[in-house]
Amino acid sequence: MPQIILEHIHKRFDKFVAVEDLNLVIEDRGFVTLLGPSGCGKTTTLRMIAGLETPTSGRILIDGVPVYDSDRGINLPPNKRDIGFLFQNYALWPHMTVYQNIAFGLEMLKWDRKRIESRVGEMLQLLKIEQFGKRYPAELSGGQQQRVAIARTLAPSPRVLFMDEPLSNLDAKLRGEMRTELKRLHSDTNSTFVYVTHDQLEAMTLSTRVCLMETGRLQQYAPPLEIYNQPANIFVASFVGNPTMNFIPVRILSREGNRIRMEMLGRQAVFTAQAPAEDLSSEGVLGVRPEFLPIREDGALTASIYSTLPAGMETTVKASCGETMLTSVVFGSVDYAVDTQVKMEITGNSIVLFDGQTSRQAGVGAVEILD
Amino acid sequence: MSTIQRDLRREPLRYRMKAFFAKPANLILLFFLIALVVLSLMPMVTMLTNMFTVHAGTEKKMLRVPVGSWTLNHFELLFADPEWSRSNFWTPLLNSLIVATGSGILGILIGGTVAWFITRSDLKCKKFISAVFVFPYMMPAWTLALFWTNMFQNSKVGGGVTGMVESLFGICMPEWFVFGLFPMIMVIGLHYSPFAYLLIGGILKNMDATLEESATILKASRFTIIRRVTIPIVMPAILSTFLLIFSSGFASYTVPVFLGSATRTFTLSTKMRALIQAGYEGQGYIMAFLSILLGTAILGINQYFTGKRKSFTTVSGKSGQVSLVKLRGANGIISAVLIVLTLFFAIMPLVSFALESVIKQAGNYSFSNMTLDFWIGTESSVFETGMPSGILMNGTMWWGLLRQVGLAVTVSLIVGTCGMLIGYACVRRRGTWLARAVENLAFFPYLMPAMAFGTIYLAVATSASFKWMYGSFFLLGLVASVKFLPFASRSGVNSMMQIAPEIEEAATIFGVPWVTRMSRILFPIQKSAIISGYLLPVINVMREVALFTLLVPYPRYLLTTMLFSFNETGYAQYGSAVTLLIIVIIILINSLVNKLTGASFDKGIGG
Repeated sequence: MPQIILEHIHKRFDKFVAVEDLNLVIEDRGFVTLLGPSGCGKTTTLRMIAGLETPTSGRILIDGVPVYDSDRGINLPPNKRDIGFLFQNYALWPHMTVYQNIAFGLEMLKWDRKRIESRVGEMLQLLKIEQFGKRYPAELSGGQQQRVAIARTLAPSPRVLFMDEPLSNLDAKLRGEMRTELKRLHSDTNSTFVYVTHDQLEAMTLSTRVCLMETGRLQQYAPPLEIYNQPANIFVASFVGNPTMNFIPVRILSREGNRIRMEMLGRQAVFTAQAPAEDLSSEGVLGVRPEFLPIREDGALTASIYSTLPAGMETTVKASCGETMLTSVVFGSVDYAVDTQVKMEITGNSIVLFDGQTSRQAGVGAVEILD
Repeated sequence: MSTIQRDLRREPLRYRMKAFFAKPANLILLFFLIALVVLSLMPMVTMLTNMFTVHAGTEKKMLRVPVGSWTLNHFELLFADPEWSRSNFWTPLLNSLIVATGSGILGILIGGTVAWFITRSDLKCKKFISAVFVFPYMMPAWTLALFWTNMFQNSKVGGGVTGMVESLFGICMPEWFVFGLFPMIMVIGLHYSPFAYLLIGGILKNMDATLEESATILKASRFTIIRRVTIPIVMPAILSTFLLIFSSGFASYTVPVFLGSATRTFTLSTKMRALIQAGYEGQGYIMAFLSILLGTAILGINQYFTGKRKSFTTVSGKSGQVSLVKLRGANGIISAVLIVLTLFFAIMPLVSFALESVIKQAGNYSFSNMTLDFWIGTESSVFETGMPSGILMNGTMWWGLLRQVGLAVTVSLIVGTCGMLIGYACVRRRGTWLARAVENLAFFPYLMPAMAFGTIYLAVATSASFKWMYGSFFLLGLVASVKFLPFASRSGVNSMMQIAPEIEEAATIFGVPWVTRMSRILFPIQKSAIISGYLLPVINVMREVALFTLLVPYPRYLLTTMLFSFNETGYAQYGSAVTLLIIVIIILINSLVNKLTGASFDKGIGG
């Protein structure tokens, strides 16, 4: 079964380091997302696993077979790695019809004509594009081209499927539909998917594990909810979640076991960690998701409304509390006049405390504001 | 020490070599690096040494030292002797600069004005004007020069041959109008004005109209918009067009030969040839070297203009709704004038060549004075013509044509293939020093004026170890291939840039071998660009004179050099007939290009 292992992968372009010491295990039949801002090395990583790019050093194993090993000089070409690759711009061959596009790879595998015909038919049906077989790519809409690209990639039944931002060229509505289709396709085809995206929502909704990268370094590799609730550092916390997490600077006053006394927004508060907190410097940052900062009449914090953004199902409220701008998400539609004074509360057991110096997570727990 | 450095050290060179040669693009680049260093840098070195050595013939006699010994005499003569220096260097240089500057300005004025009318006003018959206006650009520049003399020469100037204007209207144009710098500027400027039109028009057409519209909304007047928005945006393009015309005008050899010989008005390139033919090879090579330096400098300046952040040429607009300037009452007059002028310069040369090739006595256009003898005459009917029979009945002409066509086909096959491969390899390995080196080396011959380039290869072919090359078909093919490679490799790079690398990678993943990827994916996609990459060198070779004139074994070896020998020896009818023949061939090839690629010269600017 295809398990993909990356060991100490480095990639440099001249002096620019694209990927640095990356270690990753992609489980069989997983749906792993490489997530990060543009230029973080996620596409390079994907292309290195696929064999389109050669790492500077390290080792890659697919299914126990080393496909790249800088020590032993192994570097298998992409076609020997039994993979499929879906490109961001689809890379459909403009001079071939839909049918020819899908059949071409199978011809190269020396399949006989009958078998190719039935396989292409099968693919056209799977992706609901039977009626387009004779058309040229230019005569199809973006969504249809996307389906043809998927059909072409899936036709030789690769055991691993790589996708490089496949949905970013589609409009918002189509993107939503294709997301559903991809998740369905993952369970139908029974293969391993590795997926590159910069859209955190896509990563959250699709994958079994998210690999979050920044400037060539792995930041956190965990299931989506773990990334959301227990971010490893401030970068991860700020990259995932929309609206962005609130980051409130705090000063650590004292600590007794799991209880940490601190000063925040000019008030005294106590943070109670779920597990024993890690070592902390005197400066910290408290990470509060907008949904854990409701507006309540009995709230302990006072803030003044800066702006209100109702979206129908929920409303994003921006309010300033002293110097700090806070974001809160309220269920349903509400509208506050600008500069209204409101009360806010920090609720729940998923408040994250970061070390102010290292930006690393120091603990997850609840906050109680003292008076 | 970081892990990267440790790991790199562990990676043996052998594996890195293997990885390097596993990419076909690397192999291609390496091959062309070596080939181009040999073919364009080495001749340069030969030429440099020739600037300091003594040649057989005049130089040997004058200096009384063995051939091949080192000397600075060429420099002394060319620069130190005031009289010699003035007539053989400074005056020709000044003339070249005047012609280059004048034709640059004229070309931009004409081309830019037409471009503005076509893209920004509601002129009538735009499509027609646009198509006819670019027509003369296809024809070699010297046809226009020849046409000019056919029209305006008269009994009072030059050889005293009566031209069309004199015989029809009885007007004798003054000498400065017929021969010398003025007609050179006119002809080169007119010839390159379609080039300016294509470049400036293309930018005006693609320029985002919202840029001008937003100025309109801010209450700027039409004139202010042109002055403050339009012109600054197209300025880099105008400058770069000017420089390209300037360098073409500077390098032009054929036009000054036709329009300057009668009054002995020399430019640098005609003087270069005259000196070499008179046995002053060393000085000729010095001039060639100087014109290469100038060409390089101009290209450097051009890159500075187009490569800087003030280059707006890539502005691409969505908005196609340009509000066209209403010409109102002037519309009819302006379009009529443009139609007449463009038709005159497109059609009249053909008519004039046809007429000149059938009249016995120059200037007399009556039927009784006409004969087809110059075309199909046989030994008995042809009198003092320098040829035993009319050109269509004559072996010399057919051989010349055959050789020229053979040369064109050979060169096109070589240049087209090399250009495509260079384009592919440079785009795939973009950013590596190897790709940069090959791209620049392939472009290097562009910097050299054709005359100077021919001179370089003459230096090689007359050197001891390459004597066998002199005057051979092989040498002509080699020179033309290197000289026309810049265009082919540029268009190769451009066409390959349009194919996303993923298109090829998608096939790589299926295990498609390189040759199949090229033949079944990349070539079919860029079919039309590749076909035109093969056909354009054909046109280039068919109309080239300056490059071959020093290298042919005898003047009537090729059709174009034959034409020149006719003209120098005064057989104007044969000259006109051969010119007409060349134009017809070029038009045929060009319409073939258009038919096969579906692209026309003016790329729908007038549409």
